[in-house]
Amino acid sequence: MLKGKFFLSCVLLCSLITVQAQTPNLKKLTKKQEDNLYLNKPLSERVRKFKKEVIKSWDKVFVDFTDNDVFLTAGINFSKQNIKAGGYNAPFNYDLSDYNKNVFKPGYYAGFTVDGKFKQNHAYSFAFCLNKIATGTNYKDAGTLAPFIGSFSHFKADDQFFTLSIAAHYKKLIPITDTAKYKFYVIAGPSLDTRLSGQGADNLVNNNYQRFMLKADIGLAFDNKSYYTLFLHYRQGINSITKSPISTNMNSLELGMKIKASDVF
Amino acid sequence: MKKIFQYTLILLIAAIYLTGCSKDTAGAETSLSYKMISDKTWYLDYAQTFTGTSVKTKTYVGQSTYFINFLKNLTTVDSDGISGIYTVEKINGQLQIQVQAKTSNGGSIEYIYTIESMGDKHMVLTYTISTVTTKLFYSNKN
Repeated sequence: MLKGKFFLSCVLLCSLITVQAQTPNLKKLTKKQEDNLYLNKPLSERVRKFKKEVIKSWDKVFVDFTDNDVFLTAGINFSKQNIKAGGYNAPFNYDLSDYNKNVFKPGYYAGFTVDGKFKQNHAYSFAFCLNKIATGTNYKDAGTLAPFIGSFSHFKADDQFFTLSIAAHYKKLIPITDTAKYKFYVIAGPSLDTRLSGQGADNLVNNNYQRFMLKADIGLAFDNKSYYTLFLHYRQGINSITKSPISTNMNSLELGMKIKASDVF
Repeated sequence: MKKIFQYTLILLIAAIYLTGCSKDTAGAETSLSYKMISDKTWYLDYAQTFTGTSVKTKTYVGQSTYFINFLKNLTTVDSDGISGIYTVEKINGQLQIQVQAKTSNGGSIEYIYTIESMGDKHMVLTYTISTVTTKLFYSNKN
């Protein structure tokens, strides 16, 4: 008797759940929502047209850029500035025993890349990353402040930067293993870093830092069955990131990983 | 449509330029000077006197020496008991420390030093009386 009751209540419960799951979700629209359906929306219409236009012109211009995949990328970077203060003069002195650090300091970055093929043959990668950079500061020409003992400079390099980097890399496949599974690439290309962070108080005096840093990148990448890609890039500064007469080159080593955005989202 | 592209491009460039920009140089030099000298005790290590072409250097390193304290509240006191207020100003392209103080006897005293070089640890001040220029080399042990 008890078993029968239990069975019946189970059946009833299941049928209730099924009925609830099958009931269509007929939410009644509010008056405002109903009005919106019939109203002209010039802004959204414009946005839609703009999107269409962009896609059309994108397809027209980038007709040879095919097989595009979006990857998410992140990693650590190690950076150093090589500084020649030249004839820079300012009424400030910096004891280089405190500031001269000939080391690569760690930072980090994250962003995304668009990887594809140009004319079905040449692999490329466009990268857009935000970088938090910490740098060692290697002063190449130290001055004096006699009779004080030690080395001094009139210029103090900033050692923290926040930048947006845009890179265009050419990827050359190295056929050393079964390329259907593992792919090794040599990567090379230019990148442009835009400094988004402000300058330190010491450099505001003469506005010493440039906004843009052009770099030449070279590196290796390892694609593991398209699950993920590991890479190592060396980025050599081409232009000085400080204004004349100070000459400062920033070099970085980047170690990172990227995965297909479609695998994450 | 072309206009929309142009506006977007201009907006993008403007955004890149404006992000991180600040009101740069105005007052930056004097505020950096205040930051460097204040809340420190500066000890006189060397004094150089320039008369014509001759230079005389006196060293006070390792000896009991003159010192001066510049505080954040813009007051100053030195080892001779002279206390008062100080300001850092840029006059004719040169940074100066101007001190208005009173001696221990209550007499008023006012003096101006030109900042030749200033740092977190070392400072070089100069003053000229008639044809004799004196350079004072201070360091702090804070």
